[in-house]
Amino acid sequence: MKNKFFRKIEPYIWILPSIILMAVFILIPIIFVFRMSLSDVSKAGIIKGFSGFANFTKVLNSSAFKLVLKNTIVWTVAVVCLSTILGFMLALILNNEFRGRKIARAIMVFPWATTLVIQASAWKFIIDTDYGTLNTLLLRLGIIEQSVNWTPTPEAYFTWEIACGIFVTIPFVTFCVLSGLQSIDSTYYEAATVDGANYWQKLFQITLPLVKSSLTVSTVLNIIYVFNSFPIIWTITKGDPANHTDTLVTYLYKLAFYNGKQGQAAAVSVIGFMILLVCSSVYMIYTLRKGDD
Amino acid sequence: MRKFAALFLSLTLVCGLAACGGGGDNGESSDGGSAPEVQSDEADEADTADEGGSGEGVAINVIAAQYGQNTTKWWDDFVKDFTAEYPDIDLKVEVESWNDIYTVVNTRISNNDAPDILNIDVFANYQADDLLLPAEEFVSKETYDKMYPAFLEQSDVDGTIWAIPDLASARALYYNADILKAANVEVPTTWDELTEACKAIKAYDSKIYPWGVDMTTDEGQAAFAYYTWNNGGGFVDDDNNWALNSAENVEAIEYAISLVNDGYTNSDPANDTRYDLQDMFGAGQVAMMIGPNSIPTYIADGGYSINYEVAPIPTNGGNDSVSAGVMDRFMCFDNGYSDAEIEAIKTFFDFFYEDERYSEWVLMEGFLPATSTGGEILAEADESMASWVDIVGSCNFYPTAKTEWDDVKQGVINVEQQALLGGNVQELLDELQAEIAE
Repeated sequence: MKNKFFRKIEPYIWILPSIILMAVFILIPIIFVFRMSLSDVSKAGIIKGFSGFANFTKVLNSSAFKLVLKNTIVWTVAVVCLSTILGFMLALILNNEFRGRKIARAIMVFPWATTLVIQASAWKFIIDTDYGTLNTLLLRLGIIEQSVNWTPTPEAYFTWEIACGIFVTIPFVTFCVLSGLQSIDSTYYEAATVDGANYWQKLFQITLPLVKSSLTVSTVLNIIYVFNSFPIIWTITKGDPANHTDTLVTYLYKLAFYNGKQGQAAAVSVIGFMILLVCSSVYMIYTLRKGDD
Repeated sequence: MRKFAALFLSLTLVCGLAACGGGGDNGESSDGGSAPEVQSDEADEADTADEGGSGEGVAINVIAAQYGQNTTKWWDDFVKDFTAEYPDIDLKVEVESWNDIYTVVNTRISNNDAPDILNIDVFANYQADDLLLPAEEFVSKETYDKMYPAFLEQSDVDGTIWAIPDLASARALYYNADILKAANVEVPTTWDELTEACKAIKAYDSKIYPWGVDMTTDEGQAAFAYYTWNNGGGFVDDDNNWALNSAENVEAIEYAISLVNDGYTNSDPANDTRYDLQDMFGAGQVAMMIGPNSIPTYIADGGYSINYEVAPIPTNGGNDSVSAGVMDRFMCFDNGYSDAEIEAIKTFFDFFYEDERYSEWVLMEGFLPATSTGGEILAEADESMASWVDIVGSCNFYPTAKTEWDDVKQGVINVEQQALLGGNVQELLDELQAEIAE
């Protein structure tokens, strides 16, 4: 009897530590942020009382928010899509047998293993007009005669930030897809070859369907990581000039710690949370349901 | 058996982690975990004695801003000296970087765990929430009287002084004497002369940026101050009301933007910070820039060897040159102190502002004194310091005593950056003025 009861509750005991950890470090802070977003918070951080949706109204009515939201969507879509395509291509290459494959795989890890702040600082150093290494290199090679301003507009800056984001995201996609590729039985390809399938038919009819679950995982995780990414943009431009390179995360950081508007910052955080929740859920449900079909 | 052992270990781990994150009653916020906390061995012993029930010890908890590499060491020595002289006072000093200090302080305040003493730049937000004690309640009269009155006035709200200055810095025009000589131009004193000088330097060497401008999120408000104050404008009018869209301010910002658009400045004023400019100035790539009194130290530490000199900031319309002053403060949170605790806090400040020790504090990172006695000592010791002491005694300060300052500061930076992108300065300042007045 005792043994039976223990068997029944055993799974719950095993997941209890995870639940406690998640409650303490994830759930409670989320509840605090929701509470703050609905509160009147003084600049010193004291909650003065319930303010309804006043913080949300102020945020949604500000002209900067629309620009920042647009930037966030462009940033997330560009980084996730391009890094997924490039990462997938790299995984296909790394899945082939060739000399130095192990070294190539090890090199792939570097951008992933380096701190984002260091990566972003390096990119900033490379593209700088006055002391950047890109200009120095091109000058030395005689390709240009005088330094080029690689960041003449906010859009140019944002493009470089996206490029940096893609560079650091590719390894994660590559390794996710690579793990999927290695689990594909080679007999599928042999059978397809016997049936006269060409490279593209094998790619779209065998490879893609079979690595779909790996791609789904990497895409969903990347949407969350990239959407919430702070260090790259903060290190390179701090969202300047005039919010033109801000995303929701850098914008809410400025609201909270530069403007002292913690209530509004919490509201931006909640909006970001809801967007992520909806996007990730829709994508996962759609992809997994399609997979079941 | 193995299962039970693993389960036991897991639960122990969770409990341990929970215990680590659950601190807070003892004034040691978990957020400040990475910050260097300064407490001497003697203080540890005093702490143990208190727990033993002597009842005579008083604890003071201080959060101090990290001004540079020497700050933590300076406070370390300070705590040792202080504890040796006052063993009954358990002094703890937590040194926080400027990136973290606001977050740490706000988190502690929202957890009802405000520090006793805070060393930071702004105070108005804490005062507005009735969190502070008036300065005269936590500083002895003797120490209070040492402060420059003009500095104390910067912390005046409704006739009460809420914070005391700990140090200051002032800004002036730095120019590369060799470049100006080669370009055959005099040091500019007016905006017209400045424009002509920029033109001449550009003609001499198109690779040199004649004028350095910083309109970044970090310090764009300083650029606003340099141009508006030297055009007869500023953040507030004579009645201390916000006057951001005055005609003088519009003209000043339009002039600064015209220098950028005419190609006389560094290529990216919205992203080139003061430190970038200082590096470029040190490397001879920027001919002139407005900067703080700490630039000589920065240039020497950076290994640069340029022939530079200092001059007043150029003005317009016959206005006198106005230097921009930046001042940091000490404030005391109202944590319901006993008489013994208030006396301990007064003792702390008397000890800190002892003339010799205070001079060391100011010189530690190359700042300027906020006390008249400290100024006299430094002026006597160093001639170059004497002129800076004069400048800092007469310069303008940001209106940080007003609670809207955070919004104004970020607002003027936004105006500058929008103007760099082609925005209309008058319209932008009108919008900002209306927003602040709401």
